[in-house]
Amino acid sequence: MKRTNRVSLVLVLLALLGVFGLDAVRIQPNRIVAGTGYRLFEALGPVELLAIVLPLCLIAGLALRGSRSGAMVMLVSAVGLLLAAPWGLGAAITTLIEPGNGAARAAIGGGTWLLIFALVLLLVDLRQRLGLGVGGGLLVATAPVASLAMALMQGRLDALGLVREYLGRREAFVDAVVDHLVLVGLAVGASLGIAVLLALLMRRAPRIRQGTLGVLSFVQTIPSLALFGLLLAPLSWLVARYPVLESLGVQGIGLAPALLALVGYSLLPMTRNTYIALESVDEAVIESARGMGMGPLQVFFRVRLVLALPLIIEGVRITSVQAIGLAAVAALIGAGGLGTLIFQGLGQAAMNLVMLGALPIVMMAMLVDALLKALAGALRRGDADD
Amino acid sequence: MIELDGVSRFFGAEVAVDNISLTIPDGSLCVLVGTSGCGKSTTLRMINRLIEHSAGEIRIDGHQIRRFNEEKLRRRIGYAIQNTGLFPHWTVARNIGVVPRLLKWDHAAVDQRVRELMALLGLEFDEFANKYPHQLSGGQAQRVGVARALAADPGILLMDEPFGALDPITRANLQTELLRIQSHIRKTIVFVTHDMDEALRLADHIVVMRAGRIIQQGPPTRILADPADDFVETLVGGRDRGLKRAALTRVGEMMEPADAGAPAAVATVTPDDSMRLAVSLMLWHGVSRLAVVDDTGRRVGTLPLSRLVDDRP
Repeated sequence: MKRTNRVSLVLVLLALLGVFGLDAVRIQPNRIVAGTGYRLFEALGPVELLAIVLPLCLIAGLALRGSRSGAMVMLVSAVGLLLAAPWGLGAAITTLIEPGNGAARAAIGGGTWLLIFALVLLLVDLRQRLGLGVGGGLLVATAPVASLAMALMQGRLDALGLVREYLGRREAFVDAVVDHLVLVGLAVGASLGIAVLLALLMRRAPRIRQGTLGVLSFVQTIPSLALFGLLLAPLSWLVARYPVLESLGVQGIGLAPALLALVGYSLLPMTRNTYIALESVDEAVIESARGMGMGPLQVFFRVRLVLALPLIIEGVRITSVQAIGLAAVAALIGAGGLGTLIFQGLGQAAMNLVMLGALPIVMMAMLVDALLKALAGALRRGDADD
Repeated sequence: MIELDGVSRFFGAEVAVDNISLTIPDGSLCVLVGTSGCGKSTTLRMINRLIEHSAGEIRIDGHQIRRFNEEKLRRRIGYAIQNTGLFPHWTVARNIGVVPRLLKWDHAAVDQRVRELMALLGLEFDEFANKYPHQLSGGQAQRVGVARALAADPGILLMDEPFGALDPITRANLQTELLRIQSHIRKTIVFVTHDMDEALRLADHIVVMRAGRIIQQGPPTRILADPADDFVETLVGGRDRGLKRAALTRVGEMMEPADAGAPAAVATVTPDDSMRLAVSLMLWHGVSRLAVVDDTGRRVGTLPLSRLVDDRP
């Protein structure tokens, strides 16, 4: 397997572009002004710069040789760089900001993002080439995160605009995260329940299948903002008509319409996947289950549902990732969540605040995606894997 | 004993099985044979009520099957199908133990039975018990399928083209195995196939079906010797059936006592070999006489070509 690892080579070039070509940090005198950008070699001393560039060159050199032991060294170097990244960033911004200047802050620039992005892709690629298992992958993924958490806890990154925005609204941030998770959790849970019922109904009566999927597809085509808006009027009317709803917390704005809209969007992928999952179970297996003397419920729960589960979870995964993103828009109708921070930030032209809302959404989506993928994979192991 | 009495099955206006009557005595192996769509599978599946019969009566040991609870009936009847229908999410051992567990046998008894059956079917317990179906070859999977069908020691075994998807060599092996197992366990077996050779090889009693009706039934030799019509004659191979009949006859039935003065024969057969093999050996070696020897190589008889053909002038 002595073949030049072209992917890694390109990624190293990308990382070097991040180091030399783009701003690594921007120093802003206050939270709104764009500020001045500094490249990495301007922000760091020569020793620190070498500490970044030399490992990158080492990775590039090993990528040219393309041996397995080389790939291991490459992996370790890339992990090392990622481990050091938060501390280096902290060092750079503390030298650039005059001490005692409470208003000034640093924003992470394109160069740093590019460097981190390239390193992460490098890890993903190397993990695959080395065939690291779940344990190895987890180690490679958690070490840099732990390093970042440690740097944050020690206050090394306090001068970062993102951290400043967070420190200024810790409680609001935690609330937003919790609201976001609750909204997504309720929406996914409710749509899973409804989807299972719909799928069962569709299996019973094929005639309603086309109709159901048609209606659900139609809901998908409504723009999200419009759907949120559309729900305002009927819900307000319902609440006015039946005051008991209001005492349950239902309003024209807020959680109720947001939940309804999210469930509406989630139903199509969820129902379709659940239906197809239940239908695609091998008929020979079902027939033999019946032939063995299992009752209808035993056939369903012990065989059909179990065999359909990986595909159903696939639907949950797609739906959850979609709902995590969509829930941001729900902030516009007062449902809370991380969208609140994004729209506040947009309103105040404070990009760091926008980031404070957006980054957790991206991370949540990636995490849920990875977890559910792993779950589906583990369930499938019994019949598809050795 | 399984009795079908004027049984029909309609799917809407279509008649899948048309007024058939059939008696399958205990311990016999009855093969339903016919082209696809002739109603043989439907007939089989009416016996364990995977398909309900529309008219007539089906009785097991004199009791109408409608009187039984469906699931309880099926747990008393072994069932093996073409694509095995093994549960892909369960190990081999769990697959085999499914019916005993449905019958709430205790854990040790199920385990014991699974081991017995795996031994009976020639599956090494340590090697296969914890494998999943997708890790098995076609032949192994089908053995597991048969073991699963036999798990709760049912009196009746229904087999729906169980060897249909296998290569010829594996199929022949499993046919031999089935005959060997049947000689031990003596179940009442109803076996569906479209392959007349398989039917001739396995059956005590052959039932030829066409368009939902029984065209002819009887022991294999009679079906071969006296096909009821052109359709059955085509099924039994037309002018090829001389060889098919030879395949059903054992050398032991045809041989003459060994005569001491005979010259040493070029080729030998055993009394259990089929006459088909004997004819093949004669053709291959260009001889008109074979020596018949037993397992130890002792000469027990001789088989001259003249025993096969009445050399009428």
